[in-house]
Amino acid sequence: MNKLYLWGGILTVLMVGATYMAIGMTKGGLNGDIVNTLAVLGAIAIAVITIWVVVKYVRQMQTDTASGELAEENWDGIGEYKNDLPIGWAVMFLGTMVWGMWYFLLGYPVNAFSQIGQYNAEVKEKNKKFEAEYAQIKGERLVEMGESVFLANCTVCHGINADGMEGKAANLNQRIEKESVEYVIKHGSNNKLLGMEMPMPDRNGLFNANTGALITDAEIETVAAYVANGFQGAGADIFAGTCAGCHGPDGRGMPSVAPNIREFTTDLVVNVLTYGKKGAIGKMPALDMLNKKQKEAAAAYVISISKGE
Amino acid sequence: MFHWLEKRPFLFAVGVFVVIAFAGLIEIIPDFGKASRPVIGTKPYTTLELAGRHVYIKNSCNACHSQLIRPFKAETDRYGHYSLSGEYAYDRPFLWGSKRTGPDLHRVGNYRTTDWHEHHMKDPAAVVPGSIMPAYPWMFKNTADIETAYAEMITVNKVFGVPYNKEIPTKDGGKVVVKLPASLDEAQKAALEEAKAVAADMKDKDVKDMVAKGQIPEIVALIAYLNRMK
Repeated sequence: MNKLYLWGGILTVLMVGATYMAIGMTKGGLNGDIVNTLAVLGAIAIAVITIWVVVKYVRQMQTDTASGELAEENWDGIGEYKNDLPIGWAVMFLGTMVWGMWYFLLGYPVNAFSQIGQYNAEVKEKNKKFEAEYAQIKGERLVEMGESVFLANCTVCHGINADGMEGKAANLNQRIEKESVEYVIKHGSNNKLLGMEMPMPDRNGLFNANTGALITDAEIETVAAYVANGFQGAGADIFAGTCAGCHGPDGRGMPSVAPNIREFTTDLVVNVLTYGKKGAIGKMPALDMLNKKQKEAAAAYVISISKGE
Repeated sequence: MFHWLEKRPFLFAVGVFVVIAFAGLIEIIPDFGKASRPVIGTKPYTTLELAGRHVYIKNSCNACHSQLIRPFKAETDRYGHYSLSGEYAYDRPFLWGSKRTGPDLHRVGNYRTTDWHEHHMKDPAAVVPGSIMPAYPWMFKNTADIETAYAEMITVNKVFGVPYNKEIPTKDGGKVVVKLPASLDEAQKAALEEAKAVAADMKDKDVKDMVAKGQIPEIVALIAYLNRMK
């Protein structure tokens, strides 16, 4: 018996024994647990194969003699045999070349990872999810969504209470402020509030039908107070004579002609969010990163707070 | 077959380097060249905008604010379209920043306005409750450095060929020309014209007075710069 086989056998027994002990000492031990049993079988297989392979090659090194034809070249007396290529290696080598061609011509150009592609896929998926979950919501849920849109995008100017933070932006707790009405009458307006160019003339184009003359400073102030107060108090006659022609007798506007100045409407808010606005206070930027539903939701929220709900 | 090469290890190493480097170059250079060209709508800075950019750098805005919108839905929802490398073509240096203590500013011109910036720079917490951004009151008093801005314009025009006085295509299909003033005097005049347009939308009395007197406070230059970031 060769010493080598003896040592191999001893080592195998030791390794398998150590594995068995290690498992035996864990909680539960072997205990008929199939996983533990498999682990022991696996350990036996690994130990036996490892040692068998090592023994085989060590034996080969001990007993083998050189044979075969030497290549012509040698380096400082060290030469190499002319061996045939192992078939598996040769197949892999050729396979690599074929794969390389495929990868160069088709694989990479067609399947290359693209950050933007990933982004587009992500956006598509999110939009689909949004559609499925929110496209149909209305009523209370739409207002709730509008509140979160408002808190994320509008509060920086309009404030958390939507009061415009001391004149930094419009107070949305009411439809329109007196200064804004005065400004619009004096300067006209072309803010795409109807979604299209539909200019309102400035004071040089606004006649009071009652007096037959251009609207005066005093009249502007009276009618502005009337509109800002929710169509109450003095000024109804001026409104009827000057504004009602476009904005309607009750100030609720007319489609394609003039917007509702009595209360917020969804179209109005959506258009302001889409095109932005310039008025008495300053410029409001367009918020075009919001999608259509989010704009409608913001409108629903603004309508609800402007009514004091 | 390669005996000749194998006998010359240094030459062999050089050869290997050249082959691999060449492969790398033909992969990198065409795409790099394409990506660094200005995108449609990117135009050189005007004098006032450049002065504002210097104010931005001087006050280390880039320490807390990035100028790089990554292609993630969460970011594009908040800031707008993701940034393209060609948009930085005229930024020297670019101000990508590395940390967002505050929000990204690469497209701040789309969703903030002159008067908002004015309120915000004076007292950030008054507009954004709980904001930890400090106030920058000195920007309302210090005057912007138009000379340096003009010097930079001339330099980038001469050294890097930044296209001043040339037609530049805009996003809506039109053309726009950014003028390089012929002298410092003209640069100051041009900057003052721009400053007047910005100050018209501002509320601060002192700033308006300064601009009326022909001085340009830093805040006006900074706002001109921020408004341009779209």
